Amino acid sequence: MIEEGKLAEVVGSSNVSRDPATLNEYSRDMSFVNTIKPAYVVKPRNTDDVKKIVNLAKETLTPLVPVSSGPPHLHGDTVPGTGGAIVVDLSGMKKIIRVDRENRVAMFEPGVTFGELIPAVTREGLRLNMPLLPRKSKSVVGSLLEREPVIMPKYHWDIADPLNCVEVIFGTGDMFRTGAAAGPGTLEEQWAAGGAQVEAAGPSSASWYRVIQGAQGTMGIVTWASARCEILPSLEEPFLVGSSELDRIMEMVHWLIRLRLPNECFILNSTALATITAKAQPEVYTKIKQALPAWILFFNVAGYDYFPEDRVKGQVLDIKELSQRIGLEPVTSLGGVSALELLKTVQAPPGEFYWKQPGGWNCQDIFFISNFQRVSELIKAMYDIAAGAGYTTSNMGVYVQPIVQGVNYHVEFDMFYPSQNRGELEVVKKLSVDAVRQLIDKGAFFSRPYGEAAPIIMNRDAATVAALKKVKMILDPGNIMNPGKLCF
Amino acid sequence: MSLEDYRRDMETCRRCSTCKFIPLEKVTGYEHVNVCPSIARYNFHTYSAGGRMVFGVAFLEKRVDYSAKLLEVVYNCQMCGACDVSCKYSMDMEVLEPLYEFRIRCVEDGHTIPVLDRLINSLRKQGTMIPGAKTKRGQWAEGLEVKDFTKQETEVIFHAGCRTCYDKALWKVAKATVSLLQRAGVAVGIGGENELCCGGRAYQTGYKEDFLRQSQQNMALFKKAGAKTLVTGCADCYHAFKVLYDKFGMKGDLEVLHTTEYLARLIKEGKLKPRKKVAINATYHDPCHLGRLGEPYLHWEGKEIPGHIRIFDPPKEFRRGTYGVYEPPREVLRSIPGLKLFEMDRIKEYAWCCGAGGGVRETNPEFAQWTAQERITEARQTGAEALVTACPGCERSFSDAIKENGSRLKVYDIVELLEKAV
Amino acid sequence: MALKREVYRALEDVVGPENISEDPVVIESYSFPIRKATTGGKDAYLPRFEAITLPKDTAEVQAIVKLCNKYKIQFKASSTGWLYCDPTGPGCIKMDLRRMNRILEINEKSMYAVVEPYVIYAQLQAELMKRGLNCNITGAGSNCSALPLAAHVNLGHLSQTGSYGERNLLALEWVTGDGEIIRFGSLGSIGEWFCGDGPGPSLRGIIRGNTVPLGGLGVFTKAAQKVYHWPGPATFPIEGVSPRYAPSYIPPGFMIRYLSFASIDKLIEAVRKIGESEIGFELMGFNAAMMASNAATSNEEDIKYFKQFSAQVQGPGFMVMIAATSPRDFEYKKKVLEKIMEETGAWSLKAVEDPELGPGFLWRFIRTVGSIRETSRATGWGGGTVGGTDLFPLMTKYILHTSYLKEDLIKRGLILDDALYPFVQSIEHGHTGHGEILIRYSPSSPDHIANVQGVLNREANKTAIEGHFGVPHHVWSDELHGMYGPHTSNYHLWLRKIKKTFDPNQVSESSNYITAKE
Repeated sequence: MIEEGKLAEVVGSSNVSRDPATLNEYSRDMSFVNTIKPAYVVKPRNTDDVKKIVNLAKETLTPLVPVSSGPPHLHGDTVPGTGGAIVVDLSGMKKIIRVDRENRVAMFEPGVTFGELIPAVTREGLRLNMPLLPRKSKSVVGSLLEREPVIMPKYHWDIADPLNCVEVIFGTGDMFRTGAAAGPGTLEEQWAAGGAQVEAAGPSSASWYRVIQGAQGTMGIVTWASARCEILPSLEEPFLVGSSELDRIMEMVHWLIRLRLPNECFILNSTALATITAKAQPEVYTKIKQALPAWILFFNVAGYDYFPEDRVKGQVLDIKELSQRIGLEPVTSLGGVSALELLKTVQAPPGEFYWKQPGGWNCQDIFFISNFQRVSELIKAMYDIAAGAGYTTSNMGVYVQPIVQGVNYHVEFDMFYPSQNRGELEVVKKLSVDAVRQLIDKGAFFSRPYGEAAPIIMNRDAATVAALKKVKMILDPGNIMNPGKLCF
Repeated sequence: MSLEDYRRDMETCRRCSTCKFIPLEKVTGYEHVNVCPSIARYNFHTYSAGGRMVFGVAFLEKRVDYSAKLLEVVYNCQMCGACDVSCKYSMDMEVLEPLYEFRIRCVEDGHTIPVLDRLINSLRKQGTMIPGAKTKRGQWAEGLEVKDFTKQETEVIFHAGCRTCYDKALWKVAKATVSLLQRAGVAVGIGGENELCCGGRAYQTGYKEDFLRQSQQNMALFKKAGAKTLVTGCADCYHAFKVLYDKFGMKGDLEVLHTTEYLARLIKEGKLKPRKKVAINATYHDPCHLGRLGEPYLHWEGKEIPGHIRIFDPPKEFRRGTYGVYEPPREVLRSIPGLKLFEMDRIKEYAWCCGAGGGVRETNPEFAQWTAQERITEARQTGAEALVTACPGCERSFSDAIKENGSRLKVYDIVELLEKAV
Repeated sequence: MALKREVYRALEDVVGPENISEDPVVIESYSFPIRKATTGGKDAYLPRFEAITLPKDTAEVQAIVKLCNKYKIQFKASSTGWLYCDPTGPGCIKMDLRRMNRILEINEKSMYAVVEPYVIYAQLQAELMKRGLNCNITGAGSNCSALPLAAHVNLGHLSQTGSYGERNLLALEWVTGDGEIIRFGSLGSIGEWFCGDGPGPSLRGIIRGNTVPLGGLGVFTKAAQKVYHWPGPATFPIEGVSPRYAPSYIPPGFMIRYLSFASIDKLIEAVRKIGESEIGFELMGFNAAMMASNAATSNEEDIKYFKQFSAQVQGPGFMVMIAATSPRDFEYKKKVLEKIMEETGAWSLKAVEDPELGPGFLWRFIRTVGSIRETSRATGWGGGTVGGTDLFPLMTKYILHTSYLKEDLIKRGLILDDALYPFVQSIEHGHTGHGEILIRYSPSSPDHIANVQGVLNREANKTAIEGHFGVPHHVWSDELHGMYGPHTSNYHLWLRKIKKTFDPNQVSESSNYITAKE
């Protein structure tokens, strides 16, 4: 264990806390992982602080748990997996280092939230490829490192996007920069030469950023990241498409993305969309939900600098022809939900309302990646599994996000339950593990394992686990980085 | 030219592997992308033209020497020229020529394959590369009323070729050819028993001196007959007379035509009128020595201009298979009423070899058959009921393969089908 | 150093006697042709492989790798084997993966394809086109392996919309240097190919970056890659006879232009605009010399076209291709291109607009068949320098440094004079790019090579490091990694750890990667 005094020397005593209430906050989250209290919470101010903390931890074999977002945390990855850990809370590192319009990139520290970054990039005529309605306290770096799906599949070339480069302190205590950021040269020298830390791969024959992503802080602590940005459209026209038949919606989604037509594009079931738009107003929720079809596709067509009206008009007409062939109809409002309002909602900096905690309700989400063919059957399977477990399936939100330009589909079940209902909580808790087990057997790929289901997921492939452990031995031989997570 | 003269060409190989495949622009699917039977069968890079270029240079540098393996690799090649075409899509270098020179070097140095030695003995003694007696060479023409050009002046000579003369199953093609030509009013003559082997197969297998002797004797005969045009239905012979004889300055003004070229001309002139329906779904196999290797020889003498781009003085034009005989056989087929032509994937300058060439039929019958089977499978995939070609060597190769695998595909020479239609 | 009989017999037991050879004729043919001129007549040659093996599947590959570990011999695996495939020392066998040549799956709706190493891109693209799909083909040509881990980088003509190997790679199967089989992502978890990442961290990060390990980190036996929509016909309407093929018409929705610019800045501006407006299907910054070589069917014709094209370009340029998904899409993209041309003062090369030559250019750039003509036909020997992958303007600026060197080499008569314009390319609608200087020459001696390639290499390294231009793609080997690493987050030390961890006995010959030396 690192002595408190040594920590205070690094970050200042005001940034080291042993306060029970504070420790309590970090000892649990909205998931069902075991409650384990950290020994301290430390708030570094910069890379140097982080490096020193990691080196101290290395010397004393003290577990470190990096956290960059504020609460509520949902997946258990920020709760210590073992006793005697120190939470390294990076949420105070809020520098937006650079926003570069010409090279379509932004660079920022882990404490920067979407709400803080969106205005900064907007000012430069840029935008982020966002996840769907992150909470206000969500760290952008955190989201990128978690490989959260993003809502513009057209601009999601690779599952790692939009993450570019990171600066990381490995569990060995070494500082490393990935991709173009590695060098040669300091960041300033690279900028002077015209570089902007855009190329994510490398340097040379390894792409370390991929190993850090998805690692839940088990390889190192990221102290800044750069992310690819897209340019702001000058004209947008969003649409909704409703159907009781998910297969039809999926067919349309496939072609929309394959032909690179829309920007934002995702599928929700009526529960999810009603939850998002009702903003915790039960009557509104009920009204919208009843008016909506079972499945809703949202997409947005955009124009940029050159003849935006022509582009949007042409694409809208092409989409209309496409939808006619499939037997669907894009509309501008559906069930009382306005496509334009929804677009504004998903593009805006997050407000106070967080759709996964809509007034009096909590949510446990289960998500995985599927190929195109299995999406419908896996969703049906989940409904059967959930119903069989006694869960009220009408409370289940479903979110299907095409990613990797339509090669993969993120399928997410948001199991809402009344926060005071102990019975429902127990059902959801059990389901969150049982469903994973059953869905894997049916062809769901859980690429982001969290919580109590993580061992089930990891243990599917011993060879991958062995390889990951070898990589862990390279980057964190002392296993000080978030031990107890994944297979470590 | 000698092997040393092609060193520069061999060193120019860039190891790109295109010699293994049909021209990439023409690939239309996963199947039928291979064009070189040798590497397709044996898989080691050694067996591709690229591999042969490398060990050719190594041989000149004495890093490899004669061995059973060397001979096996050298002679496990049908000399079909597909590699040459594929390479020359991009490159200005000779590929097939050094392959010929390597074999010539082997023979000159006394490293030969016994079965080929026996064939050459047959050539020297009986005048045929297909085992048989000289006296029986003319038997195919018994009953035909056709003049003997070795005894009379004849402007148009029909050369049957060794394969046809000594393979009874193929006599009908030669007979049909003569019959068609006569019906078109051509006063054709044949050599009969006195016909001489063209020598082409001898050249392909490295026996250059034997080839030269045959060419000299043949040209003497043709000159004596006052021949202006030589017609043959054998692609190997066609290539020998048209290309090789020209290469070695023997051909003179003799016009050399394949039967399909001549027949196409006669049809165009209205001297042959295919009117009867021949209802058949057919696919056409381009014989290597009629197709890509059938283009005229280009005489060139000069030198490479030193510099950083390989050009020559005078400018050298490379034979790339562009002017091979592809259309006349197809014109003949298209002129036959009721015949539907289905093309295979590998055709014209990138046709897959029948398997028989380069002495492979004799030195490695199993490889020859394997190659033919590949082609039979490709032919069947077109849905055609018949595989039509224009060379007795190909016909024999395919017929043997079909017999082996029990396929119901029929093999025809173009001439047979035309005769039915006229 | 011949293999011990025990070792040879053990390998023979794995692949069968007809699939292994140590005959001098066979092993000689696996060396890249050596020219006496380049070795100065010295009796010094690249070491030959001790034996060549032809495994037929992953099990045989694994068995061979395990044998190599047991007997402490090295191996070098390759597919079509064009460059970087030779060992640097004795005691190395070749694994020629020719028999592993299946397309395992094409999933049209999930838009991916799975191949073994000896499927070539021409095959894959042709099969994909039948299904309305397309793939990014390695720039070296569609004669090369379709595995996105086989080529050096796997950038290609389609990278503008079809990215490149590092990002197109999905799940894969890997036989590690110590003989383990690891199946990445969804493949290991559920036996499906659509995702190569996770669970948790992505192992894709350790097996390739901008560049691949070039045989130095085990064997990649199968891989899936993203494929893309193809708006064209199932089979392109090609006519003609080799070497002159061309589509009989340009299919609707397609257009090709070669645009040249008064300055590199104007070119960069145009690339940015085309990228941001998302109108380009392909965008490749060939220079006039490459365009000439691409079209020409002989060196004589190459010279003629180069003269003609050089006179018609105003400076550096690029080929841009439009491939629209509908008539409206086509009209829009065409209109935007015309506007950008106007704004940047671009000239359009007439030969490419010419109905005689244009269709041929279009198809050759889609099928990627011109690289051999562009780099190799002149003398069979070439070289140059390459940059890395990073911002398009940065990579262009970097490669321009080297193009100034080319001027001196031309003046001294050491290389072919095919002008100074670099070859640059745009990736993912201009988010990143890459550049190269390609030279052609006929080396007369090892000194000649040193004075050309040696000088270019030295200056390229100096510029990249001192100019902070990133790590170029040519950086491999302990020496070069050791040169760049200390300036670049000591990446070489981490790379070495990967090698040491996953190939502890160093049986993957890694002269084109990094060794695990202390």
